[in-house]
Amino acid sequence: MTCQKFFVALLHWEFIYVITAFNFSYPITPWRFKLFCMPPNTTQDVVLPSGISKNTSDLNGQYEAAVEAKFNSSGTYFSNFSSKPTVHCCFWSEEDKNCSVHADNIEGKEFVSTVNSVVFQQIGANWNIQCWMKEDLKLFICYMESLFKNSVKNYDLKVHLLYVLPEVLEESPLLPQKGSFQLVQCNCSVHECYECRVPVPTAKLNYTLFMYLKITSAGVVFQSPLMSVQPINIVKPDPPLDLRMEITDSGHLKISWSSPTLLPFQLQYQVKYSENSTTNMRETDEIVSATSLLVGSVLPGSSYEVQVRGKRLDGPGVWSDWSSPLIFTTQDVIYFPPKILTTVGSNVSFHCIYKNENKIVSSKKIVWWMNLAEKIPQSHYNVVGDHVSKVTFPNVNATKPRGKFTYDAVYCCNEHECHHRYAELYVIDVNINISCETDGYLTKMTCRWSTNTIQSLVGSTLQMRYHRSSLYCSDVPSIHPTSEPKDCNLQRDGFYECVFQPIFLFSGYTMWIRINHSLGSLASPPTCVVPDSVVKPLPPPSVKAEITVKIGLLKISWEKPIFPENNLQFQIRYGLSGKEVQWKIHEVYDAKSRSASLPVPDLCTVYAAQVRCKRLDGLGYWSNWSSPAYTVVMDIKVPVRGPEFWRRIDENTTKKERNVTLLWKPLMKNDSLCSVRRYVVKHHTSRNGTWSEDVGNHTKFTFLWTEQAHTITVLAVNSIGASLANFNLTFSWPMSKVNIVQSLSAYPLNSSCMILSWTLSPSDYNLMYFILEWKILNEDNEIKWLRIPSSVKKYYIHDHFIPIEKYQFSLYPIFKEGVGKPKTINSFTQDDIEKRQNDSGLYVLVPIIISSSTLLLGTLLISHQRMKKLFWEDVPNPKNCSWAQGLNFQKPETFEHLFIKHTESVTFGSLLLEPETISEDISVDTSWKTKDEKAPTAMVSLLLTTPDLEKGSICITDQCNSANFSEAESTTITCEDESRREPSVKYATLLSSSKSIEIDEEQGLINSSVSKCFSDRNSLPQDSFSNSSWEIETQAFFMLSDQHPNIISPHLTFSEGLDKLLKLEGNFLKENNDEKSVYYLGVTSIKKRESGVFLTDESSVLCSFPAHCLFTGYRILQDSCSHLVENTFNLGTSGQKTFVSYLPQFQTCSTQTQKIMENKMCDLTV
Amino acid sequence: MRCGSLCQFLCLWLCLSCVEAVPTQKIQDDTKVLIKTIITRINGISHMQSVSKYMVTGLDFLPGFHSVLGLSMMNEILETYQKILINLPSRNLMQISNDMENLQHLLQLLASSKGCHFHQAEGLQSLKGSILEASLYSTEVVVLNGLKAFLQTMLRQLEFSPEC
Repeated sequence: MTCQKFFVALLHWEFIYVITAFNFSYPITPWRFKLFCMPPNTTQDVVLPSGISKNTSDLNGQYEAAVEAKFNSSGTYFSNFSSKPTVHCCFWSEEDKNCSVHADNIEGKEFVSTVNSVVFQQIGANWNIQCWMKEDLKLFICYMESLFKNSVKNYDLKVHLLYVLPEVLEESPLLPQKGSFQLVQCNCSVHECYECRVPVPTAKLNYTLFMYLKITSAGVVFQSPLMSVQPINIVKPDPPLDLRMEITDSGHLKISWSSPTLLPFQLQYQVKYSENSTTNMRETDEIVSATSLLVGSVLPGSSYEVQVRGKRLDGPGVWSDWSSPLIFTTQDVIYFPPKILTTVGSNVSFHCIYKNENKIVSSKKIVWWMNLAEKIPQSHYNVVGDHVSKVTFPNVNATKPRGKFTYDAVYCCNEHECHHRYAELYVIDVNINISCETDGYLTKMTCRWSTNTIQSLVGSTLQMRYHRSSLYCSDVPSIHPTSEPKDCNLQRDGFYECVFQPIFLFSGYTMWIRINHSLGSLASPPTCVVPDSVVKPLPPPSVKAEITVKIGLLKISWEKPIFPENNLQFQIRYGLSGKEVQWKIHEVYDAKSRSASLPVPDLCTVYAAQVRCKRLDGLGYWSNWSSPAYTVVMDIKVPVRGPEFWRRIDENTTKKERNVTLLWKPLMKNDSLCSVRRYVVKHHTSRNGTWSEDVGNHTKFTFLWTEQAHTITVLAVNSIGASLANFNLTFSWPMSKVNIVQSLSAYPLNSSCMILSWTLSPSDYNLMYFILEWKILNEDNEIKWLRIPSSVKKYYIHDHFIPIEKYQFSLYPIFKEGVGKPKTINSFTQDDIEKRQNDSGLYVLVPIIISSSTLLLGTLLISHQRMKKLFWEDVPNPKNCSWAQGLNFQKPETFEHLFIKHTESVTFGSLLLEPETISEDISVDTSWKTKDEKAPTAMVSLLLTTPDLEKGSICITDQCNSANFSEAESTTITCEDESRREPSVKYATLLSSSKSIEIDEEQGLINSSVSKCFSDRNSLPQDSFSNSSWEIETQAFFMLSDQHPNIISPHLTFSEGLDKLLKLEGNFLKENNDEKSVYYLGVTSIKKRESGVFLTDESSVLCSFPAHCLFTGYRILQDSCSHLVENTFNLGTSGQKTFVSYLPQFQTCSTQTQKIMENKMCDLTV
Repeated sequence: MRCGSLCQFLCLWLCLSCVEAVPTQKIQDDTKVLIKTIITRINGISHMQSVSKYMVTGLDFLPGFHSVLGLSMMNEILETYQKILINLPSRNLMQISNDMENLQHLLQLLASSKGCHFHQAEGLQSLKGSILEASLYSTEVVVLNGLKAFLQTMLRQLEFSPEC
């Protein structure tokens, strides 16, 4: 009975235990707690762990679990441990002084109880346990560290965590069934440390998690009491990130960090930092809710160490681990900020604290320098505190890289000394232009930008960002806080290209370039673009070009591209088709216009035309030019006129009937517009009326002229019709005898041009035009003809005239009544003209030459013995000549003596002690110019006395006569070059000269002048000089007086009759008269061995010219003249020239230049 | 739902405040240009170039024909078409859908310049995904055809300065 009562009581007790056990479990604390387990048979003799009070009276509180419970040991829950010894375990923490006991009896039953003032002997096993929820809120972790003592060994240790998470959220959850626990193997991460991981769904963070630990070691099973926890209450954040320290503008040390972003609740932070400076040592521990902390003024030369950890701000939680310590060391000179990256135009400031020899410099003594080269004006300084100085750079310019340094170094200095540390200022010009273009289909917008304009910053990246507004752009685009990145591709041309497709046509795309760098990020000025406003249309399609028939305009037509729908303007360019088209532009502002007709000068050529378009309101871009369209050459109108035609009459037929062959030239395109299919010859006679004959494409037609008057009209016919304006030609017997052309003259200009002039007599007939016909004389195979208007009196014929041929020119007056009588002349060739002139001149010249020669010979013989006297009688006043002072010219002892005197003042005078006399004879002949212009023949004879003819130089008429002149006119110029280098003195006796008078063509008066050319050069022997280049030339010259009538100078004319070779204007100097019969020719130096002297018949100027007598123009004459003048009037002033003209009195020069046509001078080439 | 309407109103207000200075004439011109552009785009779709006049049944969700349209009605119909177009998985229609969105904003801007206030368009209840999947081609053809006709009507109506 007693047993039954005891049994009932036991069941009742167990029931109570079970009930209470479901309601009580050990609540896991956010902090670390301990698990003590006692082996069996040690429960009576327990020793409290250190720190646990034996007084159990104070064991109360929220975690007091004065509960005893007993689990039913049946089932699988404990089946594995039924044969193993039972270990009693309890929890203990510093906050909870109770200890929950877990006991297991031998029979396999166990119970969990919390014993008041439980004392466990420390001979058992101990573990430190801490459980938390990870920051990602997905993993529950229990970390267990073994503290085994005495009997319990660490080998063969296995730890399991059994847990259960209810399916539903209950306010007072019941203890779970033992079968519902799930087993998790705890892994040993490090020695004697185990980590148990339990995945917890995020949705069940507020659920109660039940669990207990089973530790098996050396055959002993340690089982913890049942634990419970709500995961959300033990969330352990990760340590704060991005811990950093910086010095604020005010010089404070600012510690900042980043908060974890995954947590659904705010955190509080604990900051632990220490300062170690030469003057101060301090440690601070502060709890803040913000993610930054100001910890006071920073000092130069100090070291700061800081750590931060976080925990849930509101509610229970677990402190995170400490962040890694961050050490911040300040230098003796502190710049804050130490580096600045900014854009052009912004204002930037640097602060500085300067420490010098353990003493912080007063901010008032701080000066600032830039790049150690430029002192920053003090107006830019600010004193922030006693030790903090501030410098401000307003509106900064872009940094100019200096080598590898891409920044400006800003120095904070103590009056006259600067620390080597500096702040870095990077100023970047981020003015990047973004240009966009919408394609012709309005589906794609391409934006391009380049970084060429900005300085590249090493380590920076560029990114395009944009923000799209629903409609249009704001007036001032700004960087929107919400923006999207846009991928851009670098092109070969250095531009980045970004494509928006599809697009919102009327949305505003605000774009900018962000430059990311470790020092910060910069943004270019934003640009806003509406795709609709940057459309580049497609080229207008279906472009066609044609020359309109009967209108004669270039018509270009096109169609409007499908997009855009806005009104468009068009631009046409057109030009003659070819490799390089010279385009002309035509604008079309009418949006509805689809064609344009343009006048073009040539209707019968191929034109190319292109069209492009743009929005009429000016927005967007011009499209590309369309593909070129070409016109096709076709007949536009009827021919402008009929062909000009002429006739050739067969003279062999009888006078009554003549075969007339009509000749005409094919019409050119400009006249035929644009082709001729056939020609029609229209006849009209009084007897037969009018009839036509189709001659096809031939340009020759023969008909029989039988009637008194036969009128012919030739019409040109193309696909449009026959020409309306045509030429008529009437063949009339009576009219063929009407002569109104009085004279006809032909003057050849050159081989390709001939001038014809004519005079007319008055006539009552209606003169329409002339026909000028020419052909080679005596050749009938080809005649050429021209139609000349009736008002013309002179006409230039351009043809290839063969010089050796003779031509016949006929001028036909064409009257309305018929063809008049022609005037015909025969034109001679130049050779003929020249020959005739030469022949005619010969008849005059020969007697003159003979008589002159006789006279000269006689003169020579007579005056041979009296030469000295005759010669020196005419020496001018010696007072004017320095070297002649003191000499008696009236009675010279010897000729040589005279020159010996002279050599005293001449550098090379001694070389002239042995003079040589040269006699030269130059004749200038002029033949008859034309038969109409009977120009007189002129001749100049000149005799030079020469003792030794072999050494002298004589220019004989036959040698240098200009008989080879190609022009019709003949001018005889005699010259002689002498290459001898022996010194010589030349004298000339002027026998006669003629007065230059212009030739009057009408009267044929003879005027003469003389043009003489003497050249003689004698150089000194080379052995007389140290340098062979020193040469002396004695240049002979003379002057002809117009008072010597017996010298006849020819008037130089050319066969063209238009130009005169020489215009005779000048007069000889008056100081020469008849008495002066002997002239000194002159001595001069030469620069060239071959040179000549040319004396024109009019200017009295001695001129040198090349030996081959090639005239290049009257410039030569001027030059020579100036040379002569110089020699004349600068005597004695230059040592080099003293030998040149030591008898300047004999020289004269007219500065009057010769008017000689350049081309004529060329014709004088021998 | 109310929050959505409020957000839409705020967005519209923000948009209107941004483009306050845009002249009404420009808005009207741009609206017409955009309508013409959409019509041309529809005509440019290959299978829209030869559409028969046969009546296609079973697509009752399409807006009916209205000879006289006010701005508010225009907006509602545009909203309906826009929702349909968004559900049509044709790549050709992406640009047209963007244009339709622009057109709606232009219309709302035009209406606001005349003092009109639009009601929130009713959701498209009858547009069933099964219809779209089963009759994609028919739906696209009929929708684009209907949209083109509507846009042409709208273009005509805009010439007469329609009321709210």
